[in-house]
Amino acid sequence: MFKKILIANRGEIAVRILRACRELGIRSVAVFSEVDRKSLHVRLADEAYAIGPAPSRESYLRIDKLMAVAQRTGCDAVHPGYGFLAENPALPRACGEAGITFVGPSAEAMEALGSKTAGRQLARRVDVPTVPGTNDPTDKPQAQTLAQRLGYPVLLKAVAGGGGKGMRLVYSDAEFESAFRDAASEAMNAFGDERLYLEKYLERPRHIEIQILADAHGRVVSLGERECSVQRRHQKVIEEAPSPIVTPELRRKMSEAAVTLARAGGYLNAGTMEFLVDQNLNFYFLEVNTRLQVEHPVTEQVTGLDLVKLQIAIAAGHRLPFAWETITPRGHAMEVRLYAEDPENSFFPSPGRILSHHVPSGAGIRLDEGVYEGWTVPNDYDPLLSKLIAWGNSREETIARLRRALEEYTITGIRTNAGLFRRILEESEFLRGEIHIRWLGEFLRGPRAASSISLEDHAADSKEAQRAAAIAAAIWQANQRAAQTSSASSDRENGSRWKLEGRREQLDRSP
Amino acid sequence: MKYEVRISGKTHGVEMERQADGWQAWMEGELGITADVAEIAPNVFSVLLSGRCYEIYVTPASGGQLQLQTGGFEFAAEVADPRSWRGRRHGSAEAEGRQNIAAPMPGKVVRLLVKAGERVEAGQGLLVVEAMKMQNEIRSPKNGTVERVLVAEGQAVNAGEVLCVVS
Repeated sequence: MFKKILIANRGEIAVRILRACRELGIRSVAVFSEVDRKSLHVRLADEAYAIGPAPSRESYLRIDKLMAVAQRTGCDAVHPGYGFLAENPALPRACGEAGITFVGPSAEAMEALGSKTAGRQLARRVDVPTVPGTNDPTDKPQAQTLAQRLGYPVLLKAVAGGGGKGMRLVYSDAEFESAFRDAASEAMNAFGDERLYLEKYLERPRHIEIQILADAHGRVVSLGERECSVQRRHQKVIEEAPSPIVTPELRRKMSEAAVTLARAGGYLNAGTMEFLVDQNLNFYFLEVNTRLQVEHPVTEQVTGLDLVKLQIAIAAGHRLPFAWETITPRGHAMEVRLYAEDPENSFFPSPGRILSHHVPSGAGIRLDEGVYEGWTVPNDYDPLLSKLIAWGNSREETIARLRRALEEYTITGIRTNAGLFRRILEESEFLRGEIHIRWLGEFLRGPRAASSISLEDHAADSKEAQRAAAIAAAIWQANQRAAQTSSASSDRENGSRWKLEGRREQLDRSP
Repeated sequence: MKYEVRISGKTHGVEMERQADGWQAWMEGELGITADVAEIAPNVFSVLLSGRCYEIYVTPASGGQLQLQTGGFEFAAEVADPRSWRGRRHGSAEAEGRQNIAAPMPGKVVRLLVKAGERVEAGQGLLVVEAMKMQNEIRSPKNGTVERVLVAEGQAVNAGEVLCVVS
């Protein structure tokens, strides 16, 4: 087993990984940019080293600096987390050259599967169905011709992309040109690669993905599916396992497709095969995420497995200890992603100082977070604060727990999207599991969402809460005034040199 | 002691009295309803309103407002000592007259979508600001003309900084 692991990431995922290291008796090495000196991952790691200025291109994306820290501190492995360099084959290559183990797939497998276009080509070769569109990165005129042939709407996606960055949905030929330009420039900014590809947009599909694990001894297992259909601007906001619509038979078929793809790409370690599923339960391969996913905790909660520890064990050459090919989920788990963003201001990022923070706890609740009271959320990175995960015997129990925990979750000083989840978790379509990847967008644009995202909904409860809040506000004001009065009077006292002199004499006299 | 608290256009008269380890409060004109209030941490209050439990988080916000959070509800409040209430104006004339379009948060202007002198419609994109890796389009609050554009592409902006003016 490894002795020391460099965690090439920040925030909640760095905390998640260093906790796994701690449990395995492996020392953890954190890295931080200038604005992350006080971040939680730096506080909790065994060792931490500065790697440069705030912009990630000058710190968290600098392979040379990361490798220098890894070598200097004697790390025998590097865990990339998700985002940043997690899907960049240059990192496993650099690790290989330095004789350090990369916790993840090989650079070759990343290239064969990780790029969306390469992944789709591979899928077609092994007869895994894909959405109609281009196989290759495409230039603007070529893409526009194809869009006209497939019929609108079409989706433009960054070849190097993820998390909705560099992605644009185009409804008509008139929008095509500006959408292409925006997507390319966003892709360039986010990934340093402006290449795009294009595919047909399916109506009301669900996003369902299969978590796989592959060891170095030829065993590939599926840990079942996660459904991530609740998305806003192509970003997942709620994930759950199992999916409310996946039958054991569909799970088996999708798992087989995922395992086939992993084998064909020579995959190693944890990975996720993403699919779109239409209303007739046909599934289409979308892309592979060649890394740990943000939403991995829901799989952990229904399988009882620790994916980060398994990643580390696989990287160390251990065999997967499973005797079966597909694991059946137990109970239900659901995750919401709490972001520092303002739901009343079109979800604009809302960084700043966290003045107070109350975290929920109790049965069936897990909180993976990278923030604390008094910490300032920097404005340089993804504004993910916390992942709140609930699990229970049924989907209903899980939702009730999540709702309860969201009521307890309080953070002040910055705005969060917590109100959005409180709203979604009461929406009848969501409760019935009737969701698709455009559901949340439609819901937010619709009349039902208008008044209720963050403010008053249920009239009576709200009225009563408003009265209690008014009382607290009045007392806060009274306290404030009392404090001002007393500090004003103590200022006057301090201003008196006679008194100061008298105090000093008294102090001098005391033994 | 008495304060007036305005929340969503409604004014609550709150009277209070300091107790040994907290406050007793009641609503003006509502007999028999009392609240037992304890400050359990700075800016965090436990309010027992006729026995019903609330935990209120108070955060000072811009413009002298208070942001109040409790069990999933969130309110913006304005508090005044009635003796000093000056009948402040509430809310601005929405999307009428000249509008200063300000940056809602610190970021970088990545693209200008309009030029000075151009006609714009309500909801039309004016410029794109990138913050925390997301590009966000800032839209016009009204139909009108772009009077001035005060920023350039590539420029870093602070929260509240005026980006352009639509009249």
